[in-house]
Amino acid sequence: MGAVTDDEVIRKRLLIDGDGAGDDRRINVLLKGFTKWCNSPGTPEEGFTQYQRMMGILAQCEFSMGKTLMVYDMNLREMENYEKIYTNIEQNITSAHDKIAECKKEIQRAKRIRKNRQEYDALAKVIQQHPDRHETLKQLEALDKELQQLSRIKENVDAKLELRKKQFHVLLSTIQELQQTLENDDKSDNDENSHESPAQNGE
Amino acid sequence: MGPVELLHMSVFSQSFSPCGRFLAAGNNYGEIAVFSLSAALSPDATALSQKPVLTFTAHEGPVFSLLSTDCHLLSAGNGEISCWSWSELIKKNVKPLWTKRPNYKSSLEIPEINSMAINSRDNSLVFGGGDNNVHVLDLEHGVFKSVLQGHSDYVHCVSVRDREAEILSGGEDGAVRVWDSRTGQCVHCIEVHKYESCARPQYGKWISCLTTDSDWMLCGGGPSLSLWHLRSLSPTSVFPLTGCQRQTTFYQDMILAVGEGPAVSHCLLGGEVKAQIPCTPQSLNTLQLNTNSTEHRVLTVGGSSDHIDVFTNLSYRTFSFSF
Repeated sequence: MGAVTDDEVIRKRLLIDGDGAGDDRRINVLLKGFTKWCNSPGTPEEGFTQYQRMMGILAQCEFSMGKTLMVYDMNLREMENYEKIYTNIEQNITSAHDKIAECKKEIQRAKRIRKNRQEYDALAKVIQQHPDRHETLKQLEALDKELQQLSRIKENVDAKLELRKKQFHVLLSTIQELQQTLENDDKSDNDENSHESPAQNGE
Repeated sequence: MGPVELLHMSVFSQSFSPCGRFLAAGNNYGEIAVFSLSAALSPDATALSQKPVLTFTAHEGPVFSLLSTDCHLLSAGNGEISCWSWSELIKKNVKPLWTKRPNYKSSLEIPEINSMAINSRDNSLVFGGGDNNVHVLDLEHGVFKSVLQGHSDYVHCVSVRDREAEILSGGEDGAVRVWDSRTGQCVHCIEVHKYESCARPQYGKWISCLTTDSDWMLCGGGPSLSLWHLRSLSPTSVFPLTGCQRQTTFYQDMILAVGEGPAVSHCLLGGEVKAQIPCTPQSLNTLQLNTNSTEHRVLTVGGSSDHIDVFTNLSYRTFSFSF
């Protein structure tokens, strides 16, 4: 277990700072400089310059650490941001799906409406070809009235014809009767004459 | 099947399985082929999925009509009707459940059966064919209930009007007869060719396609395809399509029609032709919409070719099955 973690540590360290050009080298230089400064027998000016140099290296290290911390913070915040955007987009996707389903239903409804409208139009076209009901009714009424008038006239004419027939009948029958009476008279005259003449002849 | 036979093949009828995943098609050699729609529409479909999963000879003559009920496939050919079970066909077991033939008066020639329709009210099968009559077969008891006589020439197409329990039949004599399904009497007889707006004397007076929507009826053939209002028995719109239409159907707010000419016509109820979508066969005989399944909602057309075109979107041909 210790070996594994050591490996991990070594791998991580190599990854971050493999060539030794950055912080690791600075810390090593600082340590070496510190030990040398502690043990150096040189003049105080040299010691002071050494000391300044070491402070400079320390400041650089602190600066670099501060930068890394800030970058880490920034990454965390970016992650949060991305999470937010991700959930937002997911919500949009689901709402778009819902809208699509709604629109499909709308389309079905609209198609049904259009079909009904077209059926209505087709029927209306046929109906328009037939004449208006009011007009036909009016025509019917006018025809009725004409019919009634004509039948009345016919009745009148019939009545007149009957009357004339009867009158002619009366006239003809009176003429017949007169003819009969005249014939009878003639006959009775003739009879009287014929009775008288044999009576006369007989005497 | 040699290349010459494939060249001369005509697909006359189609029917979707009740689950909506298979398509059965009948051709002029008396064969029925079952295609797997779900395999052909899946994302990993290959060229092999456009071939039938099962082909068998069902009748001696051409299979002019196919019809699916809840679990059976009915096929008509050479004067007889055979019933196959869909579940058995999917398992590739080709044994018909029963084969019946009505009592034809003349036993010399066997009239073909041109068209079948199901009357769901009393679970009976209505079919018409070359003997000028419309026969009604009771599917529950398997007996022939009645014969509707009246046409003077053979019957091309039958359709059932659900709401009013009526049967419509159109024939070669140019008459569309409306029969009452309970009494068997001919209630109306419409002679389409006598109406000037529909008649096309250069093609003849025969009626080859008939479909009804309970209030409306589409009929065509020799006369132009026309939409009729059945209550008033008057033609409301005439569609200006060249060629004789062989099958039509109502779909949502449109009318789909196929016939002579290598195109599926989309028309509006008002009488205008909205679109004509080209297809592979030169002339089309049959059109079928898959209403049994929601995920495989396709339109398939077949005609004088061994290819059956499949449309997933009505506006263009997606792919073709081939025998």
